[in-house]
Amino acid sequence: MTESNFSLKKIEISVSEAEKRTGRNAMNMQETYTAYLIETRSVEHSDGQSVLTDSLWRRCSAFEWLRNYLLVYYPHIVVPPLPEKRAEFVWHKLSADNMDPDFVERRRIGLENFLLRLASHPILCRDKIFYLFLTQEGNWKETVNETGFQLKADSRLKALNATFRVKNPDKRFIELKHYSDELQSVISHLLRVRARVADRLYGVYKVHGNYGRVFSEWSAIEKEMGDGLQSAGHHMDVYASSIDDILEDEEHYADQLKEYLFYAEALRAVCRKHELMQYDLEMAAQDLASKKQQCEELATGGELFSIWVCGIIITNLKTFSLKGVTTQLFGQETPEQREARIKMLEEQIKEGEQQLKSKNLEGREFVKNAWADIERFKEQKNHDLKEALISYAVMQISMCKKGIQVWTNAKECFSKM
Amino acid sequence: MSGGPPKALPSTGPQSLRDMPHPLAGSSSEEAVGGDSTPSPDLLTARSFGDKDLILPNGGTPAGTASPASSSSLLNRLQLDDDVDGETRDLFVTVDDPKKHVCTMETYITYRITTKSTRVEFDLPEYSVRRRYQDFDWLRNKLEESQPTHLIPPLPEKFVVKGVVDRFSEEFVETRRKALDKFLKRITDHPVLSFNEHFNVFLTAKDLNAHKKQGMALLTRVGESVKHVAGGYKLRSRPLEFAAIGEYLDTFALKLGTIDRIAQRIIKEEIEYLVELREYGPVYSTWSALEGELAEPLEGVSACIGSCSAALEELTDDTTEDFLPVLREYILYSDSMKSVLKKRDHVQAEYEAKLEAVALRKEERPKVPADVEKCQDRMECFNADLKADMERWQNNKRQDFRQLLMGMADKNIQYYEKCLMAWESIIPLLQEKQEDK
Repeated sequence: MTESNFSLKKIEISVSEAEKRTGRNAMNMQETYTAYLIETRSVEHSDGQSVLTDSLWRRCSAFEWLRNYLLVYYPHIVVPPLPEKRAEFVWHKLSADNMDPDFVERRRIGLENFLLRLASHPILCRDKIFYLFLTQEGNWKETVNETGFQLKADSRLKALNATFRVKNPDKRFIELKHYSDELQSVISHLLRVRARVADRLYGVYKVHGNYGRVFSEWSAIEKEMGDGLQSAGHHMDVYASSIDDILEDEEHYADQLKEYLFYAEALRAVCRKHELMQYDLEMAAQDLASKKQQCEELATGGELFSIWVCGIIITNLKTFSLKGVTTQLFGQETPEQREARIKMLEEQIKEGEQQLKSKNLEGREFVKNAWADIERFKEQKNHDLKEALISYAVMQISMCKKGIQVWTNAKECFSKM
Repeated sequence: MSGGPPKALPSTGPQSLRDMPHPLAGSSSEEAVGGDSTPSPDLLTARSFGDKDLILPNGGTPAGTASPASSSSLLNRLQLDDDVDGETRDLFVTVDDPKKHVCTMETYITYRITTKSTRVEFDLPEYSVRRRYQDFDWLRNKLEESQPTHLIPPLPEKFVVKGVVDRFSEEFVETRRKALDKFLKRITDHPVLSFNEHFNVFLTAKDLNAHKKQGMALLTRVGESVKHVAGGYKLRSRPLEFAAIGEYLDTFALKLGTIDRIAQRIIKEEIEYLVELREYGPVYSTWSALEGELAEPLEGVSACIGSCSAALEELTDDTTEDFLPVLREYILYSDSMKSVLKKRDHVQAEYEAKLEAVALRKEERPKVPADVEKCQDRMECFNADLKADMERWQNNKRQDFRQLLMGMADKNIQYYEKCLMAWESIIPLLQEKQEDK
């Protein structure tokens, strides 16, 4: 498979297996980790059949590297998130153990989803590192490292600083950041309560199982009622055990919500980048302005002299001395030195103006591109979440129908008592 | 009320046994057996001496397999069929219209008792009186006293822990009303108890308190003698059939107790589930406020969850109000039945002891002394009544539980149907705009 085939998106990616492995880490200590098998198939146009073109194993950390790389090189893109490392928002039956097979299985699906998101993104799918991630077995990490993405990453501190100090960010980004904060908060709340709801529902169903046992015991002492009771008891057992599958299906819904919970963070990352760039721009403009002012002050020293003198005299009233005044005004400088300074400043100003121009351009480009991806993301989100809600409703409908079935069966057994 | 001889048992019908056709003598027997002239097993066995030969279906001796008990239960079985038909019913009693009375000393509830009857024991065809719980309690005690050989239906629990349940809440009053109605209907259906004079007074008297003060009404000879059975008679062994009944009742009460606990646990879990649902639904609303295109779908889901919550609340209320009380009633029933069994044991013990005493005296008289025969009467009478009542009870129990459990299944089906409707109705809402795009 060549790169050009790849970008035409006629490929199928799957994370088909997960395997527990042990090995030695950088500090030569034993560690256990999970490795995932990534298979890539290209789809033949004519008959739609797919041919396996690449197959390699990657561990979790590789996925994280890939994502961090993409965050650095595509700051204007809402980069798809990775699935959670630790099981959160669990209800009691699910194990919170990361090595639990159910969790590993859901993780596998999440990682596959991540790669599929990348492959279907109009810009990200063309990235070479992503292509190599799927195809280059050895040395992939070194290749990524060589891009120097780790050094190019913006420091958290810098970003935080910018957030607080930026004066004129684009209004839409302010709104977007506010939205992503709210979204994160509401989905977290939803997932927490959903887990509690699942817990309680489990309890209701399971207690009904006790009816099964007691009806069976009771039927033993009854003559005509015995059969009806016994078979009704069986249906109660069926009812009680049906909840396991129901709740397992619901986990899929929770995973869909979780993806968008993590997407909120990706949205915030784009906003932060904008704030950083904007702050940078504002700082550059401010710097330029002050340099210009300095230049002016030096150049037009004579005209404003008298004003300055008054100012300086006022500030030096206590310890007035002519030597002091002149030192303050001109430092220890000579007129030649002053000329040199002015020249330097003028050069810096020229550079600064160019920089400001390009920064402005960059900033506008960023806003344009970012906003295009955000619009794409919004549509994706609306579509996906609607699908998720529909599938949730379908799950509820199925659960209700099962309930009606079981109780109708039980009712029939009771009627034969 | 009773047209029989003065010393006759108040619970008997007016006709003499000799006038009654043989129970197996064709269709005409049903007409005679049903209606006003309800033959009582007491009557049959009380006059057992000379009448045994008449009433035995097999025509055999009383000592044989054809004991008075079997014929009386046969009659009772026929009686039961009539009751089930409902066509030959001549007594209808209803409990309704609870009202609160506030007096200086106390506050209490009264219920209206409406009686419609064509029986001669009732002077008027219709009566309407008001009674309170303690009146029912009085009636039950009187019935237990005067009909010790019969199973008296249970009353709902007397005392209610204050603070836990509101004695004057609509739900509590309604639950109690249903139980009191059931109590009176069970007595009405009983061929012997329904003719009890105390029952009649309860249904008809304008001022029940005046009657209460009159002192104890006529007690049956059997009743008296049962009451005065002193302790000290030890039963050697319960006859197999009564032992079986005793064992059955023990296990039965145990199983009902377990079911009661399970039902309570289910209610508890459902309430906790409801609490979480009530927080869950509104979160979708909060989310909806953030969104544009997703606002309506999310709001729809929120409303859906709200509907399911309402349906669940109805389910738990129904279980508490309808299911649990009936279970508890049957537990009380089996308790009172066990005490009747014990009384029967005492009567048998007395008879056996007296019999033994006679045997030890080694008299040549072939005929057993009168008082020993009376004891035998009592015992056989008791056994017959009890067996008949047990059978009636078993049948009623089967019907009651069939109805109760089917009702429980029904409520659950209704709950799921409501939820199903809610979720199905929002599918089009969720899918809507997608097609527009």
